[in-house]
Amino acid sequence: MTIIEGMMSGFLQSISLSVIPYLFVGSLFGLVIGVIPGLSGHFAMAMAVTFLYSMEPGAGIAFILGAHATVAQGGGLTAILFSTPGTGQNAATLLDGPPMRDKGQAGYAVGAAMAACFLGATFGAVSLALLIPVLRQVVLFFGPPEIVVLAFLALTFVAVLGKEDMTRSLIAALLGLLLAMIGVDNVTNTERFTMGSDRLSDGLPLVPVILGLFAVAEMIDLWGRGGSLARHTSGPLSARDTQKQIFAGILVTFRHWWLVLRCSAIGTAMGLIPGLGSAPAAFVAYGHAKQTSKNKNEFGKGTVEGVIAPEASNDAVEGGALASTIAFGIPGSSSMAILLSGLFILGLETGPQMLNDNVDIIFIMIFTIIIGNLIGTIVGMFLVNPLSRATSIRSEIMVPVLLMVIVTGAFAGERSLFDIGIALFFGVFGYVMKILNYSRAALLIGFVLGFAVEKNLYLALLLDGPFFFTEPIPLGLSLFTILFLALNIRSVYRDRREVKA
Amino acid sequence: MRRTVLKGMAVALVASVTIGLGGIAHAEDAAEFYKGKAIKWIVPYKPGGGYDEYSRMIAPYMEKYTGARVDIVNMPGSGGMKGAVEIFNSPADGLHIGIINGSAMITNELAGIEGANYKVADYNFLGRIVADQRVLVTGTNSGIDSFEDMMTDGSTAVVGATGLGGSTYVDAVIVGEAFGIDQKVVHGFNSSSDIRTAMLRGDVHAMWGSLGSAAKGVTAGDHKIILHGEREPSGMLAGIPSVFDMAAEAEDADRKLAILDAWDGLSAVGRPVAAPPGVPADRLAFLRDAFAQAMQDPEFVAKTEETGRDIAFADGDRTGKIAKASTDLDETNRVLFVRAIKGEL
Repeated sequence: MTIIEGMMSGFLQSISLSVIPYLFVGSLFGLVIGVIPGLSGHFAMAMAVTFLYSMEPGAGIAFILGAHATVAQGGGLTAILFSTPGTGQNAATLLDGPPMRDKGQAGYAVGAAMAACFLGATFGAVSLALLIPVLRQVVLFFGPPEIVVLAFLALTFVAVLGKEDMTRSLIAALLGLLLAMIGVDNVTNTERFTMGSDRLSDGLPLVPVILGLFAVAEMIDLWGRGGSLARHTSGPLSARDTQKQIFAGILVTFRHWWLVLRCSAIGTAMGLIPGLGSAPAAFVAYGHAKQTSKNKNEFGKGTVEGVIAPEASNDAVEGGALASTIAFGIPGSSSMAILLSGLFILGLETGPQMLNDNVDIIFIMIFTIIIGNLIGTIVGMFLVNPLSRATSIRSEIMVPVLLMVIVTGAFAGERSLFDIGIALFFGVFGYVMKILNYSRAALLIGFVLGFAVEKNLYLALLLDGPFFFTEPIPLGLSLFTILFLALNIRSVYRDRREVKA
Repeated sequence: MRRTVLKGMAVALVASVTIGLGGIAHAEDAAEFYKGKAIKWIVPYKPGGGYDEYSRMIAPYMEKYTGARVDIVNMPGSGGMKGAVEIFNSPADGLHIGIINGSAMITNELAGIEGANYKVADYNFLGRIVADQRVLVTGTNSGIDSFEDMMTDGSTAVVGATGLGGSTYVDAVIVGEAFGIDQKVVHGFNSSSDIRTAMLRGDVHAMWGSLGSAAKGVTAGDHKIILHGEREPSGMLAGIPSVFDMAAEAEDADRKLAILDAWDGLSAVGRPVAAPPGVPADRLAFLRDAFAQAMQDPEFVAKTEETGRDIAFADGDRTGKIAKASTDLDETNRVLFVRAIKGEL
């Protein structure tokens, strides 16, 4: 089967009546899971996989992948409207989404986010299609030395993230790195910072930490402040105004096509790298957008570019993440591991066999991502109106209800009471950080990347010796990192001088 | 008047409840007991892995032969220990069972790892779903074509492994120790998937793994199996030397075989289904019987063949004996294994 034949057959199968209903249900399911804080794509897939036993391959793929593909979209909605990341991927959207809502531009922000998601996902999926002939080489490009350097590069974006000052961001990022070390060290089998707790020996669970840092902290803040979620606005927008804003948001995203393209490329590339996950991709894209924007000072105060960038990249990740799963049958993330076992249940082999004989299946995946996100975008727009009304509910009612949803989300992933405790602890912690003006985004990046940096550094040292970074590719990336840091430091000093002058 | 009526009703109620309970306790036939009940089946890993798949595949057939509903509960944590402890400590009413990672639970118990609060030999086993068939694979681009090559080519082979005490690690160091292989074991990979990627990149030359996960790479031409731990190899393993053949031919065969026998015991436990200690004998017998029937149900067997999942059924009695044998190591082997698990070898 040639690639063109595979594409045609994949497309026809994707829109056939035996597949599209499953795709629709899957996408809807993913969207709803995404809207609920704490329930991630991983969770959506784990739920979906149990339904696969009686499905045909095409329908099964569309169902399970559709559920995974739209999660970030639903999560973006929650992030913008309720200051609560629906999933970890949407944490970066919190930097500019909620400020836009407070300016009375909720519809505008959501429209932009939805369109950016769709475009990003499409970019990722198309890249995957274009990469098929060289997929195996591309995936093998990243070994431990390359990943260490890339993770470091991603860490340096911390410096440009927030409106907080650089020293505080660095402190937060390093604290994040320290938090990543909690648990049994896989290499030496020693327990680090577990304080004798069995539960901590697996390390801090990511989802409850994110929920605590952003969602619970926001609830504490809202409770203390009183009033409603949407500040400075006089009551909810009318349905008509919201509609108008949504279309304006979609339009403005297309007008920023160059930014969408660059951020999608960042997302896809980071998706290709095993173990980095999609939360850092969104932050790196945000940092990049801020770096290259003409109105840097608007970032963090509610600029639409700050919403477009992370939302485009966190959906573009999907296409990249699929690459190693398809090329070798080796999953790059826990969600991909579930997808792989789903394919297994459906009787499909990944790896070279799929690349040679079942190209149509790969294209079903590609079209599932695109069509699934389109469905998500359209349905998501209908969700905006009722949800945005909720943002003007008084905090006395809003906080308990949202808190209940958040706590349930923290519990549901692993069915563990301990995780609720983690979420509440980091809620207080995040609130204190917010008051003292420390960047929670920086902490999260450090936390997410810490694991990848440490593990791959160890492997790189063992495999390639202490000078692993002198090999061509890591060397090039290292130089780029240093250059990037130097530029940042220079601009910080220049800004300071300007302030003084 | 009203009071007496109430009293009378209360007495009647208490009496009928007592009689009812007594009746159940007496006429209890295990099959009757399970009818309409719910069995909680614990999977100590997240949804989507092999343990989860096996469980979900067999659950409908357990339902068919017990007459009870089977609820699968995923309980991941501490490398499968959390779920294993949960099964061990759950009520011994015959309504709480689960699948465990036999070899990992045994090695953790031997090494006295924190959190290993169970005794593998004390579980009541329903039976084994599959044995772990361990194989040593090399990358086709590694220059190592056979075990002979690995031993004689004069260069140090880099063998990838996950964490200390994980099976990829224990296999590598134990077999390496038995044969005196010139190897460098690099551990710290996140998962066996990551080791496979490293092997494809040429970062490591070889790895130990289960046949199930190696098979795909072998048919794709990415890897090659050069050694395995089966006594009666069949299928893909036919014609490939086993550790036992190699040990029998080598000098110092007795010592080698003693180590390898103990090692083999670990993988023979495989993936058993276990109930906590103290389950009433009649219910255990009934569950074992139902499990045996489920494992041999033609429809189930066909399904596993269709999805390419291996099964190697052993009944509860035999599984228990295998588990006991592998926890009862002689002193030399015990010391050796504990050192291997702790990374001191």
